[in-house]
Amino acid sequence: MIENELRYSPQNKPLAGYDFTSYNAPLFIAWQLNSACNLDCLHCCEEAGEPLPNELTKEEIDTFCQEIVQLQIPYVAISGGEPLLHPDFFAICEFFRSHGISLKAETNGHLIDRQVAKQMAKLGFRSIQISVDGATAQTFEKMRGHGNLQKTLQACQYLTEAGVNTEIVFVPTKFNIHETSRLIDMAYQMGIYGFYTGKIMQVGRAAQNWEILCPSPQDYQKFFVTLEEKAALYDGQMKIYYYPYDVIEELKYRLESPAASLLIIPNGKAKLIGPLPFVCGDLRQHSLAEIWSRYQKAWRHPEVVTFTNNVITNNDLLKEANHWRELSLA
Amino acid sequence: MEFEKNVKIRREKFGTVIFQTLCEKVFVTNQTGSAILQMIEEEKDLDNIVAELAQNFESDFEIVAKDVTEFIMELKENQIIRGVAE
Repeated sequence: MIENELRYSPQNKPLAGYDFTSYNAPLFIAWQLNSACNLDCLHCCEEAGEPLPNELTKEEIDTFCQEIVQLQIPYVAISGGEPLLHPDFFAICEFFRSHGISLKAETNGHLIDRQVAKQMAKLGFRSIQISVDGATAQTFEKMRGHGNLQKTLQACQYLTEAGVNTEIVFVPTKFNIHETSRLIDMAYQMGIYGFYTGKIMQVGRAAQNWEILCPSPQDYQKFFVTLEEKAALYDGQMKIYYYPYDVIEELKYRLESPAASLLIIPNGKAKLIGPLPFVCGDLRQHSLAEIWSRYQKAWRHPEVVTFTNNVITNNDLLKEANHWRELSLA
Repeated sequence: MEFEKNVKIRREKFGTVIFQTLCEKVFVTNQTGSAILQMIEEEKDLDNIVAELAQNFESDFEIVAKDVTEFIMELKENQIIRGVAE
């Protein structure tokens, strides 16, 4: 999650620049490189598994990467699907790093062995984020179909040993939330840099499985107390980041204050934001600069404003998130 | 003084945007802040930055020194720069 903080000039005069429309280009690209995944997670927001039929080609990927450099976009996060299944994953990462772009990759870790960890260390990622949704095999493997906790923890170990800035992402559910404390302790023992968590997002497969996944308000209350305690315990040794808001609160905020970022999905379409179905551009039809301009217009489009306000009062509409709707933007 | 490893800066119409990508926090400055950041990039020290700004803006040296020091300390506290002499 990107926070925008307004800082004042030496003369203490208020500044322009905190509004997303004042930036020349996005500050951040969240790129879902592929849709193929080796796991089948109950809560997958992207409903990943099989490749999309029309994912970007190597040439289209190259053009997109060049545009990111030309627009001086400082920070890129690559996810999937499982991005390590993509044949060009490392070539793309090498390109970004050779141009000084800060880079994060989000993976389930199942394909990271000692050699891959060393390769990642050489590239100097800002971080590798590994999804670890449980402290025991029983809960982890219930949540992450075909997943293996031991392999995931081994990947974390390989990465920390290789000197990679490694972060764990934990999604709490009804059946794993009681393992939060134990998992944070395990993360600390493994030398993890940061532990990221927050309320589960009611998007994609998580929305379809909401009844079996969503923790109770009481569970969340205990969860946030645990996080506060652990943040104090590991202060200065391991970062514990938690976002206290759910997806509806996030949408309310974003409607007022959209992020200076773009979400690109595997077929090259630019989505407005994960939980909404709207597409504001297409890398096959528009330059990245055009998509940035269209993104700014799209947030003020009546269809987007109306739909988002409807989602806020009717959470069921979140099930539409992956049924993409192209916006007409003159 | 130098920028921290995961800090990226970009010139904008209003000044400069600073992205501390490790903390995932964004900061903005006006044109004066941009001028200071530019001088940090050029590896100028605090005394040089103050002298240059005081001359360019025809301002009192002591007032500029106080403002610039506060700004630099704020950059340091937010893990944007390192190597600031105490």
